[in-house]
Amino acid sequence: MAAMRARHKIRAPRRVREVEVATAPTEDFDTLWGVLSSSLIEIHTKNASTLSFEELYRNAYRMVLMMRGDDLYERVKTLEENWLRDHVRKQVTDSILPILVRAQNPQSITDVQDQSNERRAAGERFLAVLKEAWSDHLLCMGMITDVLMYMDRIISADRTKPSILVVSMILFRNHVLRAPVRPDSDITVAHVFESTVLFMIQLERTGHIIDRPLIRNCMYMLEGLYETVAEEESSNLYLTTFEPAFLSTSREFYKEEGARLLEVGDAATFCRIASQRIAEESERSRYTLVTATEPKIGEVLNNELIRKNIEEVVRLEGTGVRHMLDQNQLDGLRIVYTLNARVDEKKSALTGEVSKRIVELGSEINASSIAPPQAPSATEKDPGGDKKEKAKEREKAVNPQTASAIKWVDDILALKRQFDQMWEKCFQSDQNLHKSIEDSFEDFINRNTRSSEYLSLFFDENLKKGIKGKTEDEVDALLDNGITLLRYIKDKDLFETYYKKHLARRLLMKRSASMDAERQMISKMKMEVGNQFTQRIEAMFKDMTVSEDLSVNYKEHIARSADPDQKRIDLDIHILTSTMWPMDAMVKARDGQVQLPCIFPREVDNLRQSFEKFYLDKHSGRKLSWQASMGSADIRATFQRSNGKTQRFELNVSTYMMVILLLFNDIPDGESLTFEEIKERTCIPEYDLIRNLQSLAVAPKTRVLKKEPMSKDVKPTDRFFFNNDFQSPFVKVRIGVVAGGANKVENQDQRKETEKKMNDERGGSIEAAIVRIMKQRKKLGHTGLMNEVLTQLSSRFVPDVNMVKKRIESLIDREYLERLEDEPATYGYIA
Amino acid sequence: MADTTVLRKDQLEISLHNEKKLIKEGTIKDDNPLDLSEPFRELCSACRRGDLKVCQEKITEGVNVNARDLYDYTPLILASLCGHYEVAQLLLESGALCERDTFQGERCLYNALNDRIRNLLLEYDYSKSTDPLQPLAAHIASLLTRESPVTTDITVAVADQEIALHKFILAARSPYFRAKLAPAPETTTWKLPSTTPPEAFAAAIRYLYLGEAPRELRSGPGTGFTESEVFTGIDKISKHLEIESLMDSLLDSGDRRRARQRRTVELGKGRDQFEEWFRENVLGNRVVIETSKVDEVKWDRNNAIFADVLLRADELPDEDDGATDEVPKSTLFPCHRAMLLRSEFFQAMFTSSFREAHIKDQLHIIDVDCAPDVLEIILTFLYTERADFPLEIAVDVLFAADMLFIEKLKTKAAVVISTLGSGVSQSEAARTRGTKDEDDIDIYAIIRAAWLTRVQRLEEFAARFLAYRLEAHIDSPEFAELINESAARIQARQETDSIELLDDIRFYLNERFRLRFDDAGLDELMEEQPPIAQSEDIGEITEGVEAMNVAKSTPATTSLDALTLQSNGYTREIRTLDGAIVEDEFDEDAMNYQILLEKLDALLERLNLDA
Repeated sequence: MAAMRARHKIRAPRRVREVEVATAPTEDFDTLWGVLSSSLIEIHTKNASTLSFEELYRNAYRMVLMMRGDDLYERVKTLEENWLRDHVRKQVTDSILPILVRAQNPQSITDVQDQSNERRAAGERFLAVLKEAWSDHLLCMGMITDVLMYMDRIISADRTKPSILVVSMILFRNHVLRAPVRPDSDITVAHVFESTVLFMIQLERTGHIIDRPLIRNCMYMLEGLYETVAEEESSNLYLTTFEPAFLSTSREFYKEEGARLLEVGDAATFCRIASQRIAEESERSRYTLVTATEPKIGEVLNNELIRKNIEEVVRLEGTGVRHMLDQNQLDGLRIVYTLNARVDEKKSALTGEVSKRIVELGSEINASSIAPPQAPSATEKDPGGDKKEKAKEREKAVNPQTASAIKWVDDILALKRQFDQMWEKCFQSDQNLHKSIEDSFEDFINRNTRSSEYLSLFFDENLKKGIKGKTEDEVDALLDNGITLLRYIKDKDLFETYYKKHLARRLLMKRSASMDAERQMISKMKMEVGNQFTQRIEAMFKDMTVSEDLSVNYKEHIARSADPDQKRIDLDIHILTSTMWPMDAMVKARDGQVQLPCIFPREVDNLRQSFEKFYLDKHSGRKLSWQASMGSADIRATFQRSNGKTQRFELNVSTYMMVILLLFNDIPDGESLTFEEIKERTCIPEYDLIRNLQSLAVAPKTRVLKKEPMSKDVKPTDRFFFNNDFQSPFVKVRIGVVAGGANKVENQDQRKETEKKMNDERGGSIEAAIVRIMKQRKKLGHTGLMNEVLTQLSSRFVPDVNMVKKRIESLIDREYLERLEDEPATYGYIA
Repeated sequence: MADTTVLRKDQLEISLHNEKKLIKEGTIKDDNPLDLSEPFRELCSACRRGDLKVCQEKITEGVNVNARDLYDYTPLILASLCGHYEVAQLLLESGALCERDTFQGERCLYNALNDRIRNLLLEYDYSKSTDPLQPLAAHIASLLTRESPVTTDITVAVADQEIALHKFILAARSPYFRAKLAPAPETTTWKLPSTTPPEAFAAAIRYLYLGEAPRELRSGPGTGFTESEVFTGIDKISKHLEIESLMDSLLDSGDRRRARQRRTVELGKGRDQFEEWFRENVLGNRVVIETSKVDEVKWDRNNAIFADVLLRADELPDEDDGATDEVPKSTLFPCHRAMLLRSEFFQAMFTSSFREAHIKDQLHIIDVDCAPDVLEIILTFLYTERADFPLEIAVDVLFAADMLFIEKLKTKAAVVISTLGSGVSQSEAARTRGTKDEDDIDIYAIIRAAWLTRVQRLEEFAARFLAYRLEAHIDSPEFAELINESAARIQARQETDSIELLDDIRFYLNERFRLRFDDAGLDELMEEQPPIAQSEDIGEITEGVEAMNVAKSTPATTSLDALTLQSNGYTREIRTLDGAIVEDEFDEDAMNYQILLEKLDALLERLNLDA
């Protein structure tokens, strides 16, 4: 048993023995250190390839095992310190030429070309030396750390001391980078380094080519050095020293550049250079400096170059945004937008300028429509020379004013298109800009008091003629354009009034090119403005369909009951609900004049009576009033030629014309009727009579009557003869009513009238709204009531505050409301 | 009822039956085979007793730690049941499995005597533990992709694909390459039949380099080869290179357990191949030469064993017989840098730009600062993952491994010292109170080595060792000096810190006596030693006690007359360390404990230490 144990007797560990021997005489440590230190110097002088790693490692290892690791650590530290101070620093400071020290201000010297070249060469040399020193340091320290691996493990296990590599980095920072350039100077290598690099960057900014990789390498050096032992990312020298300096010089530079560019005063140049600079700086951050700087230098650019100048640039006379908009300089605008967007989320500078310009352009359009130029109408007539017939056919209704109304709409649409395009192409469909563009359009469109009417005319024109020969899609787009404008119009009720008026004519005179298009239009309006808005318009359409049925029924009724011998007149009748249709607009009552019903010729009157009987049988209690002014008739006229022949024409005339022409049936050939006689016998209102007679007797193509004396105007004293010599290339002749048969721009009087009516109607709406609100609330303050009223009505029109007040007063008078005595400025509802 | 994850009893039985069948057929191996051999029985009984030393010896002998005895006990279950933490730890480190959701694994866990052991077992749950050979395999596989330093020395080409490889690995793993390369070591390129699909070749190479079998082979469109072509290619190449089991390693990857076992087998086989090759070539070609003539040794780069570096270890003159006429000898081992890279020391060396990293026609001779036998251990570990060495050189290995940064070997050395060095089992040691001549080891040297190499485990071991034999050490000046040193180590850090060694000793002292209090009575019943031996022991103790310098401030114990105690049919006298006679063993222990603690305090006072 004892023998067995003996086998296990542990051999005294050789290492321990050595240690015990070694700890006593310290010279052994010193000998080892002697060998090691000279080898470390060899490493620094790049003679490492002859050294044995194993030997160096063993030396260091032994020293640590002697429990002298700390001593070794300190000695290596001192050795490195000495080496850096005595060799590396000298190498680096020697490479600094006086010119680099003198020029601490990066800007001051760039102006002088010679010096600049010299400085640049000196700087590159210096940077190269520094870079070399750094990479040597890295390399050597890598090797030294390998050799001292064992020591490092022990030291780092303690966690009280930084590893030797970290220490060497600190030493490099202190003894090379932060060493004074000259023994007596307080300028350090780091200062010179900084100013040199900044100088290089300055050179590059002014268009020179510099050694980017060199600078990049130097930046790696800064990134590898730290302010603290812990080496946090945020404490590396690049971030703590160089970057702030770089940013502050950049700030200066761009401040100046901004001022200089403004002086040049060309917005396009400014924008081009600014965006170039932005690209340059981001490239610089990525390839010359450190990528993390990119956002920071971007912020400098934003602040110094853009934010401070963008407003002025945008407003620059002759080259600013206004100019770009006018010249359609899409690229310029795009850059302006990008620049502005960098500094301002709302892009207020650009937005302001764009909306200003829109309003300006819009006002121009407004102005040109209000004072219709005579020139266009003249030119319209001129080319009419050879194509007279056609032109007349097509444009007989388009008078200059209507044309200018349509032109107004077209112009606005063109403008809108232009800006929409810019918005899409240059402004990246920006929401803010979109809103401001919309607002601007709304603004100037509503400044034109006639916008509603013009727009309605635009629709009228297009629905009558414009859409002929167009595909469905085109029609759709056209209507959509109109609807866009409708969106801008605030007084939608006014538009409704006009639209109804125009629609009524289209329907009754069958001028509409396509009923489908009409319906489409209504559904579009419904979508845009709402159900309530189109209710009455839809009712008009309903009347039309009901009337068609009615006509058919009546025809059947006649066929069954009437005397077959009787010369039959076909009747197409439209029964209109008076509240839905703009009656007054159609009847055109002259100031207080009592409108006598038109006296129809006997045959026609019979027909009228027969129908009235038929209709009232069906719907007792209703009252029919006949609107001759809106009707039309097809009549067959026989002309007795002087050569004895007769020629027949089918004339399509207005109801009034029919009445007039039938008068001539009753008088012998060659006899005449005076204006007064005609007026007396027919009771046609004078205004209508004049116009109808003009069509019949003045218009050269449709001269069914002769007038004496021949003149353009119809006077009460004129005499009219039946014109047996009437000639026309066609068998069917359509005789339109001169001026007034078609929709056109109202004259001043009509306008006033419309406005007056409008106001009455609005008054009603306002009162209705007030009562509705008060009935619900019972009691409400003045401002509250005003606000409610405004919101309720805003979809139709913008009520005038005074008018609302007046209406409130009137309601109080009529005892719908009362002022509450105990609460000032509050109304109560009287049930 | 809907829970399908739990098998019904009949299903469970079926699966167990199937498994048994498979095991019988030899398709899979039993994780815990029945082992009735004598060495295994000894291991089991050592586990019961908590005898670290025997355990370590048996494990080194190669006894399967995962086998089971007649009653289905595995050594780990026994150790955990009997509460021997250190033994359980040793077993786990030596590859004992404790997998949750297995019968044996759960038994270990449920049987664990205390939470400390239970937590230890959970830490080693199979999902975390890996094949002990995995580090070696990982290193060799990583050689395929390692870029710096360059260690490859041959380019093998298949079709247009070239792979840089290591001749020694090819030779060790493939008989084909061994035969081809041995006569022509200077070969730097090798061509294989160009019909081999690259995929097949890559799989073969991965296999040779002990890499994991790929989950699936890339084939089909894009590779230019169909799956069957690739398999034919693999078949062909495995025949060509004489690596028959390549195909099996690829085909088995479906079943997890089978794949794992297959991998273990493969790794074991691969290791054996490396070991065989290593012993035959590296160790077989070592040169023993007089130290002064070492520089004359020239090895050409093109040598038959493809070594690319020579490691040198010098024999130290034996101190005992100081002036010998023997000329100092050195041993040179021809080695491969690729394997040495497993040590951080060598990796730094070969990637640096120092002399050793330059490639020359003559191989560098690199001095390694240790004895030849130690270097052999180190090389064996690096090449084969084997680390079996006697206690005598364990401390040397510890130092060398520390110097070369081979952590695993360092741990292993610590394990060897702390198990083999622990002598007889702890309880027995306590009984003998360290007075017997069991100073196999110089515990002072070991604790200093532990400090120098920063091995916590060894420090703990030494503290325990001392605590169980404190009576023998407490009064020696060496011990006082050791305490002083320990204090100095800490003082370097913080003034008021406690003395680590002393704290550890107190901890184990507490453990020692608590253990005694707990199972003293049981011990009596279990005692199989003849009573005579007992009384002999006691006699020795008394002698020792008398020889001791008793400290002054012992508590005034009752001066009772010698009592006679009837126990197990024999009479014995019980005295405390200061000679006082007490009633029974329990009192004795309690008083001894007090005395030892007071002595420690006194020691501190003497040394002027604050703790």
